[in-house]
Amino acid sequence: MNHKEVLSAAMDIGENMLKSGAEVYRVEDCIRRICHAYGASSVDVFCITSSMLLSADFPEEHRISQTRRIETYTTDLERIDRLNQLSRRMCSERLDYATFKKALSEILAAKRYSYLSEMAAFALIAGAFTVFFGGSWQDALLSAVIGMVLKATVYFSSVVNFNRVLSNLIASFTMSVLAFLAVRMGLARSAEMIVIGNIMLLIPGVLLTNSIRDMISGDTMTGILRFAEAIILALAIAGGYILAFYTVGGGAV
Amino acid sequence: MNDMIQILMGMLGAFGFSILFNMRGWKLLLAALGGGLSWALYLVLEPLFPGEFTRYFISAFFVAVYAEVLARLLKTPATTFLISCIIPHIPGGALYHTMRYALLKEWAACFQQAFHTVMLALGLALGIVAVLSGLNVAEVVKRSIAKKKGA
Repeated sequence: MNHKEVLSAAMDIGENMLKSGAEVYRVEDCIRRICHAYGASSVDVFCITSSMLLSADFPEEHRISQTRRIETYTTDLERIDRLNQLSRRMCSERLDYATFKKALSEILAAKRYSYLSEMAAFALIAGAFTVFFGGSWQDALLSAVIGMVLKATVYFSSVVNFNRVLSNLIASFTMSVLAFLAVRMGLARSAEMIVIGNIMLLIPGVLLTNSIRDMISGDTMTGILRFAEAIILALAIAGGYILAFYTVGGGAV
Repeated sequence: MNDMIQILMGMLGAFGFSILFNMRGWKLLLAALGGGLSWALYLVLEPLFPGEFTRYFISAFFVAVYAEVLARLLKTPATTFLISCIIPHIPGGALYHTMRYALLKEWAACFQQAFHTVMLALGLALGIVAVLSGLNVAEVVKRSIAKKKGA
């Protein structure tokens, strides 16, 4: 691997880890280790959730650097796990560039659960949390059905490339409207419990917790960005709910 | 009985989220188990610590230990179980009530509830960070002992 390729490889791994929801310090650590393993004498790397900067010194060469912009991210723990393994292999076996590229594309091509399985998971989560917070079994059943519609809504938003705020607003509005209507038609007892169950699917709780974790452990920038994002997403969810309340929910609660 | 149902539902919720987070095989069950155990701990501690914040801190501490142990056994990043087992503690109910008070224009209650939501998240984060910092200290101590022995 020449030095440019080392930087590209390290950034490829880091970028995909960040996009899959890895912690910033892990990403930075990974990139640093890979560059050192391939002979860099000094490495400076700075990541926040939306961008990455890397510059490294190699003996007998100018300092070289790369930046990446991160646009979207999800949570894919399997991918983080495998990227982590690949980075360890790179440090210990010092793979060449072609082998690395092949391994990386295998990881990126690995399948996620199918649309239908994810829909079933949405139904399960919504139903389970409706009971968890004190709803009846009947509410849970309806909540599960609405959870499936929620999955379809979220999927639609991702296909047409809505940003996360808009996507959450629409999803929250849709599920609240359905919850209010279900109670009005006498299909369920408590719209509140259905909404709470489905909100668990939207709420940026992991984001909020992680943001505070980042701030406490010193990644202040990332922490503040994530905290702000969590608040904005929560506001979008509240907005969708309030909109639904004023349009169809007035008499039902 | 109600508690058992709640724990079970917490497990199902953690299981469902683990699917969305693309976890595979045995890890799904371990995530559900961890979620159930941490929620059970939260319920059991109620007579001792009536405050929710304290119990959130303790259960997050437990989850972090659980995640670190499994991470070492299964050679997977600790985040895997950290994120998935914490799911039943995500303050969804608290957020809902915040929204609800905003809707009713009861601003004092709304701010109080919003503050409560952030406090719960803070409790979780502190519990996790406490374990991570503990491990860091242990690592430093181990290294310095190894150094002394070497010299």
